[in-house]
Amino acid sequence: MGDSTKSLLQRIIRRIPSRAIESTLRKWGRLTAEQLQSIDFTQPKWTVTQELLDMCEEGNWTLKFITELEMSYIIDNPNQGMWYAYQLMNPEDDANSVELTQFKEQFKSHLKQLVRHISLKMKKHTDEAVWIRIAWGDRFFQPNHMKPTYAVHYLQTPYVFVTSLTSKHKPLFSQAMTLSTRYQAIKDANLSGRNLTAIRDLLMRQFQQAFPTKHPSPLAERNQTVSHPRIEKEQDGNAANRLELACEAFGGGTLPQLQSAVYKLETKFRDQTNKAMTEREESFKCIVKFASTNLLESLRHCASSGFASTPVTPLLSSISLKGKNYFVITDNSPGAASQPRRAQDK
Amino acid sequence: MSLLKPFSKLPGINSANILLVEFEETFQQSLADALVEETAVTVNVRLAKSLPLPKENEENRPRIDLVVFIINLTTELSFQSAEASLKCLDSGFFLGKVCFMVTNARNASVPTERLDSVRKLAASLHCPLLFAEDQTPAGVTNAAERLLTILKVTAGLVPMTTALYLSNLTRCTVPPDIDQPTFD
Amino acid sequence: MAASFNRSGPSDLETSSVNDQSVSSRSSNRSVRVAEKERRKNEAEDPVVLALKYFNDVEAGTPVNGNDEVEKQLVLVEKVGYSRGLSPDAISVMLEFAMSLRMGTTLCPRVLKCLIPATTVPQEAVVRAVVWLGVGKIPATTQVLFVKWVLTVFDMIDEKDQLRAIYGFIFNFVTDENLCPFICHLLYLLTRKESVRVFRVRKLLELQSKLGRQPFLLHLLSLYKVFCPELVTLSIPSRMRSGFKNHTSPWKSALLFVQKRNGSQVSSNVSLAVTVKDKTSTRKRKHHHLELPKLSSVVNKPAQTETSSSRKLVPLTQLHSFAQLLENMHRIELPSQMGSLLGSSMALHYLDCVQDESALLRLNFWLGYSLHEEFLFCSDGGASQYSEEVLQFLNRLLSTQHFLQEGFSSSEAFLYKFLTVWDGALYRPEILGLLSNIPVIPSSQIGRLLFEPLMQLFFTSSLFFKCGLIECLNNMLLKWLTWHSVYALEDDLDISLHSHTSINMTLSGFKDSVMELVLFVGRLASVGLQLEGCHSVLLSFVLDFYETACDTFLKYGLPLVLLPPSGVFYPALLASDPVSVDRLAYIMYRYKANLTSAKNQEKVTEQAFHISRQTFREFNSYIAVMANYLWNSRVFHPGMGVQLEKELLLKSNVPEYWTSFDLIHHPAFMSYAIDFHRKCWPGRKDMDLNSIKLSKPWGWYLEYLFTQGFDGLKLFFQGNVRQQKAQGDGQGDSTPTQAR
Repeated sequence: MGDSTKSLLQRIIRRIPSRAIESTLRKWGRLTAEQLQSIDFTQPKWTVTQELLDMCEEGNWTLKFITELEMSYIIDNPNQGMWYAYQLMNPEDDANSVELTQFKEQFKSHLKQLVRHISLKMKKHTDEAVWIRIAWGDRFFQPNHMKPTYAVHYLQTPYVFVTSLTSKHKPLFSQAMTLSTRYQAIKDANLSGRNLTAIRDLLMRQFQQAFPTKHPSPLAERNQTVSHPRIEKEQDGNAANRLELACEAFGGGTLPQLQSAVYKLETKFRDQTNKAMTEREESFKCIVKFASTNLLESLRHCASSGFASTPVTPLLSSISLKGKNYFVITDNSPGAASQPRRAQDK
Repeated sequence: MSLLKPFSKLPGINSANILLVEFEETFQQSLADALVEETAVTVNVRLAKSLPLPKENEENRPRIDLVVFIINLTTELSFQSAEASLKCLDSGFFLGKVCFMVTNARNASVPTERLDSVRKLAASLHCPLLFAEDQTPAGVTNAAERLLTILKVTAGLVPMTTALYLSNLTRCTVPPDIDQPTFD
Repeated sequence: MAASFNRSGPSDLETSSVNDQSVSSRSSNRSVRVAEKERRKNEAEDPVVLALKYFNDVEAGTPVNGNDEVEKQLVLVEKVGYSRGLSPDAISVMLEFAMSLRMGTTLCPRVLKCLIPATTVPQEAVVRAVVWLGVGKIPATTQVLFVKWVLTVFDMIDEKDQLRAIYGFIFNFVTDENLCPFICHLLYLLTRKESVRVFRVRKLLELQSKLGRQPFLLHLLSLYKVFCPELVTLSIPSRMRSGFKNHTSPWKSALLFVQKRNGSQVSSNVSLAVTVKDKTSTRKRKHHHLELPKLSSVVNKPAQTETSSSRKLVPLTQLHSFAQLLENMHRIELPSQMGSLLGSSMALHYLDCVQDESALLRLNFWLGYSLHEEFLFCSDGGASQYSEEVLQFLNRLLSTQHFLQEGFSSSEAFLYKFLTVWDGALYRPEILGLLSNIPVIPSSQIGRLLFEPLMQLFFTSSLFFKCGLIECLNNMLLKWLTWHSVYALEDDLDISLHSHTSINMTLSGFKDSVMELVLFVGRLASVGLQLEGCHSVLLSFVLDFYETACDTFLKYGLPLVLLPPSGVFYPALLASDPVSVDRLAYIMYRYKANLTSAKNQEKVTEQAFHISRQTFREFNSYIAVMANYLWNSRVFHPGMGVQLEKELLLKSNVPEYWTSFDLIHHPAFMSYAIDFHRKCWPGRKDMDLNSIKLSKPWGWYLEYLFTQGFDGLKLFFQGNVRQQKAQGDGQGDSTPTQAR
């Protein structure tokens, strides 16, 4: 027991960058002021870890303490792994009235029924989000604290965000989740990214969207470009038009940071010059992946600067409009007719 | 497709008109701001993304004394767009009234072949090829200054010289094949 | 291995780090011995000493599991290692313990990780460990860890001669796939000219064909190519990302910590190389090549005075005076980062006089690489330019070149490339400075490499740039001529211009290059003056250039005389400022001196050079024009350079147009004439400048002009114009004396 506590502590400290150790420990609140004072944080991390391990031994810290530390660090720094979005389906009548304590109890009991050895920890964060840490065990083994699953659920919404959930545990988690939130089903929302707030904003539509209008926007965009009477733009209208269309497709203002978009194509190969491929019976399968540090921003820039043609194809614009970044394209769907172009990522 | 002609209009008094063509439309703005600072001559700047220019501006567009194609070497599109736009210029412009300005030539991500093809293009058209540092204010000012030097000649404001004479001196020559540098 | 584990090494070293070996050593030896004894007594009880003793003496095969003794001792050593660093002896013991696998393989990585040196790492220990690498059954990961450790502490190894001696042995490890990248880096640091052999090159090429073009192999090969270009025919790509990654990670923080802690005690040159690396990797990736590493070498122990010292190498850091440099010239140890040489004048002295090519080759290699990386293949497209750091680096490079009085060939190669993409403003003063330092280029190359890019820049840039470029070319010519006058061998007229790279050039080849340069400037200047409306500032820079060019024979002994083109001559002659005219007169006077002395020499010696008739004819016509314009009032005289039709001249309605450029009516001298007139005839109301033309006042007027400081005119006048006083009409008719 003591060994696993210590190795967990060691592992957590290793994940935290040196400069953040002190603040994280303070936030954790399990160390006394004297203890905090006694640690010299300018030392190499290795030494700090040793001192913490000593304290752990002296103070006889339980596993619970350590998991608390991990959780508080993850809540503050959520952008470390891949987050996947899930959507709950078909709400029961009382789905909207589920409140925190009820959800907590329900979730715990449902999961405990399914798995014998499990360690659960829940915490309500400031913004209506419930953070859940699950260390999975199974019938014979104690919960493995080294690879916990983290889930974030916003109460009264149908969205759940999960990181490091294995396929083995997915059904268990899904069942507990649907039951405790009073929904009937849960499905993959086809959205993933490293930045939790970004995919949350995208899915819950919490970013500034622009809607197509027939009337020119009253914004002073046009006036900005006229900087000097002797400078004249020959193709002035085009640029403003492109920007408008790009904002319609991807939204205005700052956009959520998305790292990639994947299109899985299962369509017929169409190229007049390549007979052999075109005449093949079975569909041509390929995966097109767009990657960037800020994909939506890049795409919007491509469209507004004229790199990609406007109006933006629905293939690209549906990332922000539908809140998805994984698409399967088959010949039946209307959008599949056009081959996606390779846009250049900034 | 309407050709842009160099001599279809009369020149204005003590004024010079420059057309900046850039696909990205980023550098041309800052360059234009620097160009109109010139006080000795009235400099009019026209900005375009590509040629041909829209017909509706034909009326109030002055005679263009110098066409500058700005090519950002980091994207292939920039070069292709400039290449396509060249076809919309009257051949009279190539008697010294066209020049190329290249940015990002020192960027590591630029394949050398791209710079070579720009050089070949400029050399085949007997046009000067200028390099510019678009990232720094000093670089922009310098680029504007060099364009003004050429513009004043092509607009006929410098006595004893003509556009053709200058372009003969400054035109890009056949791409030099400096062998791969050895570090010894 | 003695048991004196000297933990507090740094402070002792500090006190005894004076390099004075010969005189005081004997007397100080005694006191050192006493102190040693004292310390030994104190340390007998020190637990760390006991721990090290334990590791030194522990028998092979002692079990690890459940062995509390080992655990206890190791923790002790680790604690010291991580907090204060281990002394050289402690490192020897622990390294030996770990690599010999006396207690199995499990402890090995742990020991390696705590080997943080406090001061230096003894070379013997490293050599022994390398031997163990070949003998023992060390797991692959541990082997890699060990080599990484050696790389990390490389600059702290006290000497490298024995390591170099086992170069071949180390080289054998490149075949090991896991070790290869790290061994390549180590070899890169150890390679010297004599270590480059055909079979090694072959081996590396073979590896490359097997593993692909790996950057670490390419880097090592390119270094080999630098040393022996004839052995490596492979073409090295111009763009190589930094081939060796930093291997310091396991020790980085600990080493930094130890250094910070010991910083006050150890003189700052301990392992700066490592800290510099760390800093660059995090903070400023952009300019990481331009940070000059400080000249560092960890060996701040004075070289021992024992007999062995004769073969010992002396690091450059230890030398503080020129005398010391002279004494130790034959056994200088070069630092592992050659860039540091630029910062030290002592190192430059060494570079300047040493015959060994490898130092210069290594420096050139580093320099060429950093210049290319930094200015031609920028990662951010040139943003954040103009930084202090870059300027400092370029200025340091410039001052180094001035010190050595020659350019580096790598900076030359870089400039040729850079000129083709230069915007003419980026680091202008520095680039022009570097450009003026380049050695003579063969005339077949000079047009393509230099003139074409410069011409485009010149004609499209501002007046300011034009002046700067002419000045730069003037400096270039000056340097070329100076090299010629220094290195030219009198007998066979064959000169070796570049003492280090031994580029030999025949005299005629050199003459051709100089001629190309002068003619090129002539073209630039003529057209430049025309474009800029004969701007007097530009004219002044052009005349500067011709002041150098007119004296090639008398001042620099180069048998070559090239006259300015008329595009320069006439703007200067007709300039509106008297200074330009005066300077032109001086230049023509010097030309005459050069031509006449060349002529005389031609008569005396057989093999003297031949100046073409054309040059003399041209010179004579210039002289005639000047005399006719300034003295004889015969402007636009038929048969001279500038001719106009008589009808046209009459049509212009200029009265007495033929006098309009004599010394009285010349726009530059008119004010002097008026002043002279007032002084000469103070009473006269109406001014008649023509009255100066009379014989007597003309003589006075010339005297007056000469007292105004127009020495050029005076010299020209005395040398070229004969006053013919015999004529009764008073009109002083002067005829130019012809040079032939």
